[in-house]
Amino acid sequence: MGILSDIKNAVFDGEENKIVELVRQALDEGQAANEILDKGLVEGLRATGDAFEKGEKFIPEMLLSSESMKRAMVILKPLLVEGAGGGFGKAVLATVEGDVHDIGLELVGTMFETAGFEIRNMGPDVPTEDIVEAVKEDKPHIVGLSALLSNTMDVMPDVLEALEKNGLRDSVKVMVGGAPVKQDFADEIGADGWAYDAASAVPKAKALRSQLPD
Amino acid sequence: MSYYLYSNTQEVSPYERMMASLNGEKRDRVPVHFYPRWAALEHIGVTFKQTWDDPDLYVKGQILAQERFQYDCAIDYDMMGPVEEAMGAKLKYPENDVPQIAEPLIKTKEDMKNVKWKLDPRKDGNMPKVLYVIRRLKEELIKRGNGTQHVPIMTWGSCPSRTAACLTGFKEWFLIVARDPDWAVELMERALDGWLQMVVAAWEAGADCVWVNDPVSSRDCISRDHYEKLTQPYERKFIEAIRRETGMNITMHPCGNWHDRMDLVYQNQADCYFLGPMDVEMCTQKAVETNEKGLSRVKALNGNVGAATKSTTDGQTAVSYATTMKRGKPEDIEKEAKAVIDVVEAADLRCILGTNCWDVKGSSYANRDAMVYAARKYGQYQ
Repeated sequence: MGILSDIKNAVFDGEENKIVELVRQALDEGQAANEILDKGLVEGLRATGDAFEKGEKFIPEMLLSSESMKRAMVILKPLLVEGAGGGFGKAVLATVEGDVHDIGLELVGTMFETAGFEIRNMGPDVPTEDIVEAVKEDKPHIVGLSALLSNTMDVMPDVLEALEKNGLRDSVKVMVGGAPVKQDFADEIGADGWAYDAASAVPKAKALRSQLPD
Repeated sequence: MSYYLYSNTQEVSPYERMMASLNGEKRDRVPVHFYPRWAALEHIGVTFKQTWDDPDLYVKGQILAQERFQYDCAIDYDMMGPVEEAMGAKLKYPENDVPQIAEPLIKTKEDMKNVKWKLDPRKDGNMPKVLYVIRRLKEELIKRGNGTQHVPIMTWGSCPSRTAACLTGFKEWFLIVARDPDWAVELMERALDGWLQMVVAAWEAGADCVWVNDPVSSRDCISRDHYEKLTQPYERKFIEAIRRETGMNITMHPCGNWHDRMDLVYQNQADCYFLGPMDVEMCTQKAVETNEKGLSRVKALNGNVGAATKSTTDGQTAVSYATTMKRGKPEDIEKEAKAVIDVVEAADLRCILGTNCWDVKGSSYANRDAMVYAARKYGQYQ
């Protein structure tokens, strides 16, 4: 566990430069790409998320961890996508209108992609009507909505309503996430799923995807 | 019962009531100020973009909505980016929302050279349009007050941390805070003057008071340590400069959850704090403590009926979803309003009843009326 533990710590500490060297070393030592992802990077990110929840880390530190993860993924992604086989389904991801935060969204995008989803990451501050248009165009299986602000999470039910009005609600599974968003909120607004973090969003997305026809 | 028709004495004008509270004094009752952009636009049935294209329409909305809802303060085009735009940033103008930065202006330190740091609010960009609105509002309020301004005008200024984040992009700003604190300081140092000049010009155009905000230094964003060492000194510098240049009463809005750093926030020396979705008892107690230690000069607290969801009840415990202004009932507003009035006034600070974030788009007339009704019912000083 030595090198994987080092990778986990490097993500946790946001050591952007050291991480690349560590990932290369792990691959040289014969570690599988998915092991490096799951037991190194994701664990590091999860520990960072826990520290964020406890108020021990904040957005700058989270971003450094996220940047570290991204640098590592440049090396790992080709190996992981190759291994994942792809074709798991399509996902449209967006941070709702009025919210400019996209750290979580980017992480979810990366994790979805490596898990075999074809993603369209619309980025932050996306108007509801643009999300609806993207669903019409791409016909995704999953719509992932993110919000970091407690007053922008209020836009999420508007997106669900807009999908309903456009006759699209039954064709997709809508997942919501972001710091202030919890399971009870997801239930209250009628979303299909919620995940605590990017890593746990993947199995939930896969489970939801399996409920839809091919 | 109609909330709108409840007792409506005009013996004390909104101007006297609001300005007295900002000075820590009492008039007839607690004033109401909930930053009524959407109330005004929705009342006259126009979008924000329409009023941006026709500033007189914005003035009309502010005037008619105040007369309809009977709250105690009008606002100019606040929470905008005219300064950042004049500095060189490109804004996008959504149909019915405030303009936003379309693309970060500063991506590298080299880009600092391309920013127009020294501004003339009377000439540059859209800043003259904001000043025009203030002048017209003033004229119209005096006209409708038969020669006396009966409603104050509040303008707005962006704290240096927020301006810097607008110029770099929010995500990049937080990375700069983490990677290069010296650059963060340089950005705030350079960013301060533009908004200071804008606020001074707004005061000269007729603004009576000002609010400033910082949405990037809360507990949701950066550590207390980063706040204390990096951004708080520039909030204080900005506030003290506004006071020195204009003498206006200053309200600060710590946007988000600042539970672990209210003692530092109050040391920014604002007269009033527009509280976000935070625990009003804790915020009040902390204001009293810092005042007693001679570290702050808090005279009034503005807020904090639910317009944004409280993320915690006490700084730690998560609470469930609820946006009272939009999804609650008038009785919910009344209940929350009474609690705020009781807590703040019991500490002998002045309560300026309001929301805990902007006036929420799409709030019902009944809910907005309920706030004024609650101030009349529970906020009488006699």
